[in-house]
Amino acid sequence: MKVIKIEKSQWAEGLEKARQSMRLIGPVAEKGYHSFQELAPGQAPDLDFQNSRLSPKGLAFPQSEVMLTYTMDKNDPECGIMKEADKDYGPRAVIGIRPCDAKALALVKMNFDTDEYKDPYWLNLYNATTFVGLACDAPCATCFCTTAGSGPFDEQGLDVLLVDQPEHYLAKALTDKGTQWLQAAGFTAETDGAAAIDKAKSAAQARITAKIETEHLRGADTMALYNADFWEDVAFACINCGTCTFTCPTCWCFDIQDETSRGQGVRMRNWDSCMFPIFTVHTTGHNPRDTKIHRVRQRFMHKLKYFVDKYDQGIMCVGCGRCVNQCPVNIDIRRASALMNRVGQDARCAVQEG
Amino acid sequence: MSTYTDTMRETARRLLQECKVELVIGFRRGSRPMMNEPCLVRKPEDADQLVWDSNCGINLANYLTNRKEKIGIFAKGCDSRNIVTHILENKVQRDQLTVIGVPCLGMIDKRKIAAATEGEILEVTENGDTITVKTAAGEKQFAKAEVMQQNCSVCTHRNPVIHDEMIADPVPEQTDVDPYADVAAIDAMDLEERWAYFDDLLDPCIRCYACRNACPLCYCPTCFVDESKPQWVGKGQDAMDVRTFHFLRAYHCAGRCTDCGACERACPVGINMRLLTKKLNKDCKELYDWEAGLSLDKRPALDSYQANDPENFIK
Amino acid sequence: MMKNLLEFMGVEPDRIHFSWISSAESTKFVEVVNKITAKVKAIGPNQRFVKQAAKVA
Repeated sequence: MKVIKIEKSQWAEGLEKARQSMRLIGPVAEKGYHSFQELAPGQAPDLDFQNSRLSPKGLAFPQSEVMLTYTMDKNDPECGIMKEADKDYGPRAVIGIRPCDAKALALVKMNFDTDEYKDPYWLNLYNATTFVGLACDAPCATCFCTTAGSGPFDEQGLDVLLVDQPEHYLAKALTDKGTQWLQAAGFTAETDGAAAIDKAKSAAQARITAKIETEHLRGADTMALYNADFWEDVAFACINCGTCTFTCPTCWCFDIQDETSRGQGVRMRNWDSCMFPIFTVHTTGHNPRDTKIHRVRQRFMHKLKYFVDKYDQGIMCVGCGRCVNQCPVNIDIRRASALMNRVGQDARCAVQEG
Repeated sequence: MSTYTDTMRETARRLLQECKVELVIGFRRGSRPMMNEPCLVRKPEDADQLVWDSNCGINLANYLTNRKEKIGIFAKGCDSRNIVTHILENKVQRDQLTVIGVPCLGMIDKRKIAAATEGEILEVTENGDTITVKTAAGEKQFAKAEVMQQNCSVCTHRNPVIHDEMIADPVPEQTDVDPYADVAAIDAMDLEERWAYFDDLLDPCIRCYACRNACPLCYCPTCFVDESKPQWVGKGQDAMDVRTFHFLRAYHCAGRCTDCGACERACPVGINMRLLTKKLNKDCKELYDWEAGLSLDKRPALDSYQANDPENFIK
Repeated sequence: MMKNLLEFMGVEPDRIHFSWISSAESTKFVEVVNKITAKVKAIGPNQRFVKQAAKVA
């Protein structure tokens, strides 16, 4: 794989060059936190951050997104007809996305891009984007990516991996899209950086000490997990807010709403959360997940069991630690997973072990 | 305050052993610095997981709503005021409860500590009035008053207003504080500035509803934002919908809010939505001489009529 | 208190009015409505707490 050396003195100039053919998005510090925003001409991404407060999943899955538009004007021949919303799916590059977050997008893709259904809104945004990742040298104390199927130098879902060195970046082109981006930016100086990257990678991995236990989940009996006696204890503190699911890079649930104002309307989708009581309310008024124990169990079972069984690609979590850090009552997915994993040690299911 | 922990465990164990209560609601050690997790203890032998320190800012009254068991609950001043409000509003009955009073010297604000330190916070310990913060960059000490939650530093009800047991002797109440200086600062702005101020304040909101859900007052079976017939407010990220949510959420707390700070503490994006409820608290105090949750014998200001209620707004 | 909170958030004081009028007080009703109309006209069309169309991505 090609490794390109980018002198930091050339960095800003290269970004401006790349900008001529695409929009650039990167981490920006605002009110003490980082978030991914479109960069104005001359604005450099602020790469001095650990984790953005919200995950960058919104780049392909905005919290509120217009899908269709319509008019209710009776005099308009197109009254009541849903039309594709006019949107900019032009090429863009995300600079400085963390490897865990890019891996999360790859996991979410399994849901939005299946043989049966292809979500055009998500895929259009995803496909228009080149992901230029920044390897993570200073993971947080709550990062457990290495035991969640990802890692600080994880390449899944990335087009380019940047590795920070004192005077330069080592850029590993991982896909054709990545190679094209490097060319568009004029970064072409090939170098033999493999050893330096490996060294930085081992050092970063060694810094990650937090762990999630998952090895017995796949073989665990689903009903034994579902009926386990710890759910009341795990769920007690939960206030059923959407913090965990909204900050999570892999949560993909949404709710569709029509909004009409003065005869003009939009059909939009908004992030939804399985923590909200109305998430599962039927039109009859019946709610199959009526208590918070049901809802908390659902969140953990989906991430740590149902997803594992359905796709056989590990857990639906990349170990970014956002839910652990931001939960107002300190519910910790690592604790829930450890409890579930212990059940899996004893109650195994031959069929699911497959 | 951690000296409370031993007494709390003993008390919880005794109440459970004597079958005075079926469960005890308290806090256990969290997995992150400056975080404790509300927990429920059903067996005497589990009482040892209970802890108390300056990271118990979540309002435990929130966990009483509609419970039917006999419950032991630890209550700071603000928690106890919300328990009173819960009893007045029939969300729990007085005779179900054994209120274990916890005199409180204030809770620490993790955002203040994060803002005053460099690097990731790895460990925070407290010794009396001194808070020691260990970060990736080194160690730093603070006086507790510097890093206390804002609502705690202006709190005038640190001791529980109702209790069946006390964990310790009452602490002195603060008398020389101005609880509404921040409200006055906004009152001093002109309308344009106020509108812009709240635009900026509410801009980061992600509508996770942590503020609503952390609040013991918000127990409606279906919140107005979740109603669909009629739909009172749009569900997207439109700034006006976000503002409508915050305005109405606050208004629903009028005359009931104890300024416990749970909403602001729970917010993942650090919005001080307490400004809205504090404005209402200030008005309640000035117009009706009312502070929420101080007595089981008085009806709240907004659910009772007095002949001398101010009515100069009626033209 | 609601009026106070609205003003606190930046809504004009003359935008919202409260009055108590008996069904027998038709003259007062006319007076009050005229007064309110004049006051609201004086501050112009409302720009605050108005949602045009959802401004989202």
